[in-house]
Amino acid sequence: MSYRRSPILAVIALLVAAACTQPPPSGASGTPQATGGAASTLVWYSDTSDLISLDPAVAYEFTGVLLAHNAYETLVKFEGADLSTIKPALAQSWDIKDSGSLWDITFKLRSGAKFASGNPITADDVVYSFQRVLKLNKSPAFLFTDIAQIKDTSIKASDSSTVVISLPKTASPQGFLAVLTFTIGGVVDSKDVKAKETAGDSGSGYLLDHSSGSGAFVIDHWTKNSEVQLKANPNYTGSPKPALGGVLVKHVPESTNQQFALEKGDADIARNLGAQQITALQGKPGVVTTTGNSLQLVYVGMNVTVKPLDNVNVREALRTAIDYDGIVKDLFKGGAKKVQDIVPAGLAGYNESTPFQADVNKAKALLQQAGQSAITLELLVPTGPAPGGVAWADLAAKLQSDWKNIGVTVNIKQTTQAELLGTYRAQKGQLVMILWGPDFPDPDGNVGPFTDFAAKSIAYRNGWDDKTIAAKGHDAALITDPAKRSAAYKEITEYVLHNGPYVVLYQPTEPFGLRSNVKGFVWSPMDWTDFAAISK
Amino acid sequence: MRFLGFLVRRVVGIAAVMIGVSVITFAISHVIPADPVAAALGDHATDAQIAQFRAEYGLDRPLPEQYLIYASGILHGDLGKSIRTRRSVADDLADSFPATLELSFAALLISIALGVPAGVWSALYRGRMPDYVVRVLSLAGGSLPVFWLGLIVIGLFYYQLGWFPGGGRLDTFVAPPPTRTGLYVLDSIVAGDLEALRSSLVHLVLPAVTLGYFSTAVIARMTRSSMLEVLGQDYMRTAQAKGLREPVIVLRHALRNALIPTVTIIGLTFGSLLSGAVLTETIFSWPGLGRYATASAVSLDFPAVLGVTLLAAIVYPLANLVVDVVYYWLDPRIQHG
Amino acid sequence: MVRRSPILREPLNVLAIALIAAFALCALLAPVLAPYDPLAQTLSARLEPPSATHWLGTDSLGRDIASRILYGARISLIIGVVVVALAGIFGTFVGLVAGYAGGLADEALMRLTEVFLAFPPLILAMAIAGALGPSLTNAIIAIAAVTWAVYARLARGQLLSLRRREYVEAARSIGVSPARILARHLLPNAIAPLLIQASFDMGAAIIAAAGLSFIGFGAQPPTPEWGVMISEGRNFISTQPWLSLFPGLAILFAVGSFNVLGDGLRDVLDPRLRRAN
Repeated sequence: MSYRRSPILAVIALLVAAACTQPPPSGASGTPQATGGAASTLVWYSDTSDLISLDPAVAYEFTGVLLAHNAYETLVKFEGADLSTIKPALAQSWDIKDSGSLWDITFKLRSGAKFASGNPITADDVVYSFQRVLKLNKSPAFLFTDIAQIKDTSIKASDSSTVVISLPKTASPQGFLAVLTFTIGGVVDSKDVKAKETAGDSGSGYLLDHSSGSGAFVIDHWTKNSEVQLKANPNYTGSPKPALGGVLVKHVPESTNQQFALEKGDADIARNLGAQQITALQGKPGVVTTTGNSLQLVYVGMNVTVKPLDNVNVREALRTAIDYDGIVKDLFKGGAKKVQDIVPAGLAGYNESTPFQADVNKAKALLQQAGQSAITLELLVPTGPAPGGVAWADLAAKLQSDWKNIGVTVNIKQTTQAELLGTYRAQKGQLVMILWGPDFPDPDGNVGPFTDFAAKSIAYRNGWDDKTIAAKGHDAALITDPAKRSAAYKEITEYVLHNGPYVVLYQPTEPFGLRSNVKGFVWSPMDWTDFAAISK
Repeated sequence: MRFLGFLVRRVVGIAAVMIGVSVITFAISHVIPADPVAAALGDHATDAQIAQFRAEYGLDRPLPEQYLIYASGILHGDLGKSIRTRRSVADDLADSFPATLELSFAALLISIALGVPAGVWSALYRGRMPDYVVRVLSLAGGSLPVFWLGLIVIGLFYYQLGWFPGGGRLDTFVAPPPTRTGLYVLDSIVAGDLEALRSSLVHLVLPAVTLGYFSTAVIARMTRSSMLEVLGQDYMRTAQAKGLREPVIVLRHALRNALIPTVTIIGLTFGSLLSGAVLTETIFSWPGLGRYATASAVSLDFPAVLGVTLLAAIVYPLANLVVDVVYYWLDPRIQHG
Repeated sequence: MVRRSPILREPLNVLAIALIAAFALCALLAPVLAPYDPLAQTLSARLEPPSATHWLGTDSLGRDIASRILYGARISLIIGVVVVALAGIFGTFVGLVAGYAGGLADEALMRLTEVFLAFPPLILAMAIAGALGPSLTNAIIAIAAVTWAVYARLARGQLLSLRRREYVEAARSIGVSPARILARHLLPNAIAPLLIQASFDMGAAIIAAAGLSFIGFGAQPPTPEWGVMISEGRNFISTQPWLSLFPGLAILFAVGSFNVLGDGLRDVLDPRLRRAN
C-alpha cells in the first residue's frame, strides 16, 4: 500500500527540511536567555563526569570544586594564580594567638557582606557552614578533622561579625589558613539552608544542585550529564564584579569534540584538550591556546617490601635510567615541567634540583653495586589519559623501554583507576604509576603523605616506614618562620630524592583552548578559575 | 481469550528472564577484584569514611542478603543508590533513558525509511546496478564499527562541512521544552515550541544516522530477500500473467508479505540499537543510557550497572512482545504455542 | 564431470574467500611481512603521512601504522577464532544436551539462553570486562559470554528437527547406538546453520572487541588491536585522519569478508536444508 510509506516519507522530508535550515551562526543562536544570551555567557566545554555535588561541604572533585568556588566565598583566599600570599575575602582580617594549649585564630568578617539571597553574612553562618562539614563527614571533611584537627566545639562566634577557631598545638595554623581557601571553607546562607533541610541532611540534598552562597555567581540549574548554568549574582558584595552575565558549563567528554566546537565558535573555552589538540589549534583563526599550572605530580611508587626494591641502590638505579627530558619534550611537547622532588613548583619548599637524567652506565653500576642483575617487576598503570593529555599506557611504554636499557624487565599491567587504587591502598603493587595532587596549597599537603607511614597515605602504600623523615616532616609543618621552614623542606626533599621509593616524572601543565575574544582567564594551580575575572 | 492467555504467558516469561538477568548481573558485579568504594571516595578518603560509605550502601552484608535486599527493593521501584553519582539509580535512569529512547526511535525510523525502500528497489532490479549498490552498502553497514563511522560523520558533517551540530541534544542557548516524555521532539511538538523542535531534530540527524546504519543494512537485506522470495512465488506469476501492472503487484502483494519477516527484524534491531547507543552516545555527547552505562562500568558502580542492565534487558523481550502482538493482528492464522 | 563448488560460482564469494585468506596470511606471517616492530616508538618521526618509508604513515608515538595493522590482523583473527570456538563449542554442547535430554533440563537450559539473549551484547560485555578488568582476554571472555546462547538454540533446534528424520528412525530400529547416531548422522547436518552463524560471528566478535577497546574495556594501548588504534587516533581526526581511517578500513574489509562468506554459505547450505525438509 503506497499510503503506508508516505508517513515515513513525510518524516524524512521533515528531517531533511530541518537539516537544511542552518542553525544561525554561533553567538546569536536561539532565544536570548535571561542572562542576556550568547554574547554575555561564557560557554565552557569540559568533561564533567566527575561532578557529584555542588555542596561545598561535599564537593571534592575538579568540576564540583570549580563551580562551588565561584558560587561561594571563603574567609580567606588566594589572588588569581598566586599561591604565596593569603588574602582577605569574607574575613577582612585575622590574627593567630598562642593561647597555651591551643592556637586561637580570630577572624573579623567584612562589613556589608551579603548572600545572594540578600541575607547579611554573620558569624553564625560561618559556624553553621563549618559545623555541617564535620557533621556530613564527606570526602573533604578530613581537611578539617585530620589536618586542622578541629571539632564542633572548636568553632565559635564571639559576636555577630567575629569567629574564633581553635586548633590543637599539633596542627599548623598556616596550613589551616591554606585549607580555608579551599571550597570546604565556603560559607553558606544558614537561614536559607536550614529552611531547606530534609531528614537531617544539613541541606546537602538541596545544595547538591543549588547554591546558597555569596559568590560572584549563583547556580541556575544543573541538568545532569548535560550542563550546569551559572548566572551572575546581582547581590555580590565582593570584587571584582563579574563582567559576564553567566557561565554555561557543558559536559563534552571527547576532547576532539571540544576542539571542533572551539574552532567553530560553539565553545568559548575548552578544558580537556590534549597535546595533539593544542598542536592542531595553532594558527587557527579566532582561537588561542594558553596554559595553567597545576600542583599535581605524576610519579611511580616503588613498593619497598618487594625485593629487590628494598635496596636503595636499586631504587636509585631505576630513577637514573629514565629519559625525563625525552618525556617532557617529545611526549608532552613541552606541556609538562621536569620536576623530581615531592613538592611541586608553586609551593614554598619546592626543590628545583633535577639530578636524574638517563645515564645508563651509572644505573647499571648501581645495580651491580646492589648485586642485582636480571630484575623483573610489574608496573601497574591506569587506563585512559595521564595529566597533560598523553595516554598512561604510552608513558608506561616509554618507561618500560628506558628500563629495558639497564636490564630491568618491566611488565605493564593496565587496570581501571578504581582497581589500581584498591591494589595500591592494600600495599599490593610493585611499581605503581599514578598522580598526586595536594589537598591544600601547603608543602605539608605533599610531604606528609609522601614521608609519613603512619598517615596511611603514599608512604604507607609503598611500604616505606622511615620514622626519622616522618618526624622531620611533622616538625617542618609546624614551623612558622618562612625561611626556617624552607630550609627544613629543602633537607627533607633532598633526602627523599635519593632515598625514597619514588620516581617523580613530571609536573603537568594544563592546556586550555580559548576563543581569542575571551579576556581575563587565569587558571589557578588550585584547579579552578575565577569566572568573575573573565570577559568576552 | 486465547490472546489474553498468550499475553499472560509472555509476561510471566519476561519476568522470569528478568530475574535471571538480575541474578547474573549481580553475580558479575560482585566478582570484581577491586573495591569500588575506595575508588568512589578518591585517594584521600580515610578508613572511617570508607566504612561509613560501605554501611550506607549495605556492602558489609553477605552477598545473598544483599541480593535479597536488592530484589525486594526492585519490587518497590527502588533500584538502589549509585555509588558514583550518589543519587538513586532510578532517578539516574529516568534522566538518561528518554534520550536513548529518542535516539533509538529516530535510528529505527531512519533505518525503516531507508532500508525498506532500498530493499524493495534492490529486489526489483536484481542482478543490475541498483542491486549491487544496495548490496555493497548493506554489506558495509554490517561490517563497519559504529564508533568509526561516528568519528567520520562528525569530522565530515560537523567539522568540515558545518551542516549539522557536533553533539548534544539542543543548541547551546535553546531551552529544552517542558518535560512530558523526555523526548525533546515530542515535547516540543506538544508545547508548540518550534525553536526547540528544529534544534532537537537537527541534533538527532547525525547520531541517528550513525546508530541506524547497521539496522538500515539489516532491514534492507531482509526486505530484499523476502521480496525476492515473494516475487518468485507462483501466485505472483499468476498475477503477472493476469496482466496486472507491475507497480501494483509490487505494492499490493509483495510488499505486504515481505514486511512480515521485516517486522520481526525490527524487534531484534531495537535491542541491538541499545548496544550501539553506548558507542554512539560517547562520540556525540548524547546524555543517554549508553553513556551512563559506560561511566558506571568504568567506576565499578555496580548498582548503576545492575540498573542499566535490567532496564536494557527488559527492552528486548518487550520489543519482541510488541512485535508478536503486531504479528497476531497482522496474521491471525499464526498460532502462538 | 568436474563440478565447481557452488559457493565459488558467485564472484563476490571468491573475492571474500580471497580476502579472508589474505587476512589469515597477514595474521600468520605478520612478523615476516611487517617492515617495522609495531611497538617501536620513534619520537622523531611522529604523525607522518603515508610515504615511501611508512606506507600508511606513523602514529603519535612514531610507530609504523602498516606494521601495526598487520599485527592487528593477527590479534583480530585470534579474537574471532577464540570467541567463535568458545561460544560455539560451549553453546552447541548445551544445545545438544538440552535437545537430547528434553523435559526439565531442556526447559531450564532454554530459559538460561533466553536470559543471555535478553542482554544487549555490549552492555553485558562491558559489565563483565569491567568486573574482570580491562584486557583483551577479558574482552574475549565477555564477548563469548554474549554469543554462546545463539548456538545453543540453533543446535537444539537442529537436533529436534533432525531426530525425527526417517534415517534416524531407521538407524535406531537397526540398533545403532545413540552416540553413533549423534556423531554420524545428526552432527554433520546440524552443523550447517552453526557454520553460517560462526562466519557472521567471526566478524561480529572483531567489531565487538574493537568497540570494547574503544571505550577502554578491551585491549589496551600499546597493543596494536584495530579498535585501540582507532581510539588512539580519535583525537587526531582533524589533522591526521589516517590514524583512525586505516584500522577502520581494515575492520571493514575483514568483517565484510566474513559476512559475505556467511551469506555465501547460507545460499549454498540453506536451499539444501529446505529441500531436505
